[in-house]
Amino acid sequence: MKIIVAIKQVPDRDAPIRIAAAGKWIEESGLQFSMNEPDAYALEEALRLKEAHGGEVIVLSAGPERVGTTLREALAKGADRAIHVTADDLGERDALGVARLLSEAIKPESPDLILTGLQSEDLGLGQTGVILAELLNLPHASLILHVEKTDAGLKVKRELESGWFQEIELPTPAVLTIQSGGNKLRYATLMGIKRAKTKETRVLNAAELAPVAPPTAVLEKIALPTKQRSTQILPGTPKEAAAALVEKLRFEVRVL
Amino acid sequence: MILPHATLAEPPHFSVLERVVFAALVIASAVSFWQRFGPIVRKILQSKKDPGFRLAPIGRRVWDFFSEVLLQSKVIAQRPLPGLAHAFVFWSFLGFALVTLNHCAVGLGIGFLNPESQGLSGLFSRLYFYLAAVFALLCAVSITGLFVRRFFVRPVWLGKKVSIESGYIAFLIFALMATYLAAFFTTDASPAARILWWIHTLALVVFLPLIPHTKHLHLVLSPATIFLSREKFSDIPPLANDEDFGLVAGQDLTQIVSLQAYSCVECGRCTEHCPAASTGKALNPKDVILGLRSYLNEIGPATEEPLLGKHNSQEAIFQCTTCGACEFQCPVGIEHLPIIVGLRRGAVNTGAWEDERGAKLFNQLERGSNALGMSSAERDKFIQKESLPIFDGTQEYCLWLGCMGAYDPKGREIVAAFARIMQHLGTSYGVMSKEKCTGDPVRRLGNDLVFQQLAEANLEILAQNKVKKIVTVCPHCVRTIQEDWKAYGTPPEVEHHTEFLARHITQLPAVKTKESIVYHDPCYLGRYRDVYDEPRQLVQITGKLVEAERNRERSFCCGAGGGLAFLGEESGERVSHARAQELTATGAKTIATACPFCNSMFRDAVGEPNGLSAAPKVLDIAQLIDSHLGEPTLRLYTRKSDEDHRSH
Repeated sequence: MKIIVAIKQVPDRDAPIRIAAAGKWIEESGLQFSMNEPDAYALEEALRLKEAHGGEVIVLSAGPERVGTTLREALAKGADRAIHVTADDLGERDALGVARLLSEAIKPESPDLILTGLQSEDLGLGQTGVILAELLNLPHASLILHVEKTDAGLKVKRELESGWFQEIELPTPAVLTIQSGGNKLRYATLMGIKRAKTKETRVLNAAELAPVAPPTAVLEKIALPTKQRSTQILPGTPKEAAAALVEKLRFEVRVL
Repeated sequence: MILPHATLAEPPHFSVLERVVFAALVIASAVSFWQRFGPIVRKILQSKKDPGFRLAPIGRRVWDFFSEVLLQSKVIAQRPLPGLAHAFVFWSFLGFALVTLNHCAVGLGIGFLNPESQGLSGLFSRLYFYLAAVFALLCAVSITGLFVRRFFVRPVWLGKKVSIESGYIAFLIFALMATYLAAFFTTDASPAARILWWIHTLALVVFLPLIPHTKHLHLVLSPATIFLSREKFSDIPPLANDEDFGLVAGQDLTQIVSLQAYSCVECGRCTEHCPAASTGKALNPKDVILGLRSYLNEIGPATEEPLLGKHNSQEAIFQCTTCGACEFQCPVGIEHLPIIVGLRRGAVNTGAWEDERGAKLFNQLERGSNALGMSSAERDKFIQKESLPIFDGTQEYCLWLGCMGAYDPKGREIVAAFARIMQHLGTSYGVMSKEKCTGDPVRRLGNDLVFQQLAEANLEILAQNKVKKIVTVCPHCVRTIQEDWKAYGTPPEVEHHTEFLARHITQLPAVKTKESIVYHDPCYLGRYRDVYDEPRQLVQITGKLVEAERNRERSFCCGAGGGLAFLGEESGERVSHARAQELTATGAKTIATACPFCNSMFRDAVGEPNGLSAAPKVLDIAQLIDSHLGEPTLRLYTRKSDEDHRSH
């Protein structure tokens, strides 16, 4: 099975976020970046499928030069080769624009399966994977926790609300967006990093793949969340405090 | 002077036939020895060269050899009775070297020690033979004692299977000594003297080929093993090149590792002191070494067959807390830690080790900043809450928080207490605005990739901030910064807070309560750093110091080291509970710790339900002192001696 995993590099969760002067995006200088977590789960799923059924895992990412470190990390974890769509203007492309770039990079590969994270940890739009399927004219399913290969195609487990799951079957090729937590992530190894040096990374220029079209959605303004301290300490003996807590949960929060 | 009994063991005149038979026996014995010993030497030499090995400084090696081999210091110190018995056997062997050489020379008719000759040489010979007789007597008694211990007392750590071969060896040694002594009561060239001479000879020629057979190899190898041992405790060698991932297969075994594997004398001191082996885990450090020996015998060095498999199990290797009791105890210079960590490196650097919690820890440290997997914003909040000053290059000390100090609620209390004491002392300090885990857990678990990332990132932050001196409450941080970071740069000076506090002891409150306090030596402060007295001095200014049954170098691990605090302890009794019981058995009201990991482990252990009725408090030494801040200092009590001291 030939699998392409589309990965985004996002600011480190621990990174101290500042808003850039223009107020439309964060200040990227001095930030550390790492692999978008749902994408890491997509990669893990792809590697497990390859280990079980053979084939090839190709990782694909669009972004400036720094994206190379995330691609190398993916190669170190076991991907066979990488495609880097170099673009310094991702901020000017919306989800549709990015999906266009990815789809152009994917088409010549004609893979059996395309995996990507459910959403990104920075913008959280959750659209890129789904638009990608539309552009490639492929069936898709989102919020996937588990993928199983069958004779006819795939059987996948979707996460629904309130602890419900749904199992669906679909033919290949297909696009799946992967939910975090379905598997345990493997760790990068020293051997993997050394081996990754000899693996191929193909560089494609974004401008040549798909010209920048006027975005359909534009980011107007971003803001840091305001801090609100709403912790309440319930006084009294444990018994009194527990009674007060139940009272609040029942009548104020209405969850009991 | 002509002695009343004409000879001391050596009938001087032999027939030609006797000389030929004797020569043939000696040659057969030597050949038989080499047939077994030769392949072992070849296996050691075929092993990989040790990366980073230097013979210099030679002085340390000579001293180790003198102290541990010639004086038998470790053998005696750690097991006094059997140790002394062993030392007598060993010293007798040394004393007998000349006697045995002469014995063989006599057999060929060229004996050089003649007690009957006149003048100095006769005097020397007589004295030497009598001296050897004293040794022979001590040796005969000692070997009998050791025989009784092995076959009748049977300590558990010698293993379930009784080594029959040890019996043969003991018998041969006894025969050598008995025949030597018995000859004193014979007359020259009497049939009895001749028979004794031949029994002595037979014992010798049988003894020699038995040496390269299993554990008696230590007679020949361990002096070299001790002389060639690595410079420092738990000295983990650098990776040699891009294809070196640690101890993966036979081809990764280095000459020193192979030498050590063949040197093991199977005494079981490592097993006796191992926290894993003592609490029912699969790991037994002796079996790790013997497993490598079996691997070398059956498969050999320079092969691609994995080391973890038939002869050593991955499960066992990852149960090690890296407390280092085995390496400290080993009387023949085996360094278990570089071997166990080396095998872990092999498994982790190649991805062969699959462990849910281990992978989680690695991923956390690869992406985040700390081993507890918390957001670094939590550290910022703690710094703000305690109003800890940020290091800006003007202060004397960088107070390194460590993961436990920055994120663990109880670890934070230790840091806060120590910060108050520094304030009290008027020492200027600051904390880093950003700090990553030193990499201790990943270093011990064998993840070189993440360890390098963390070491380099921290070294860069510290260099940018021009940090010269670090003090920290965590012995794991101290060790990792000082020794392990060296592979990637030059770390600042670093010390543990108990060392810092002991230097300022005269300015600390000296309350001398009656309360009994038991001090637990953390492995990484004691065996790894040789700091035993400073924490005790500090405990003594706050209360009455009591000692646990195992203390100082023999202290028993809390169970958290080697990255195990972040893995699961799935089998056997909990190490922390075993140690907590021992500490509580002293009757002390307080357990004083000097490591936030030990502290955390014991708090859990003494707080267990169904545990001990009156559970002792678990407090760091900094907390003990902090609770008395503001009370009179030691300086008031000892002002006179203090001033005397200053006038020097």
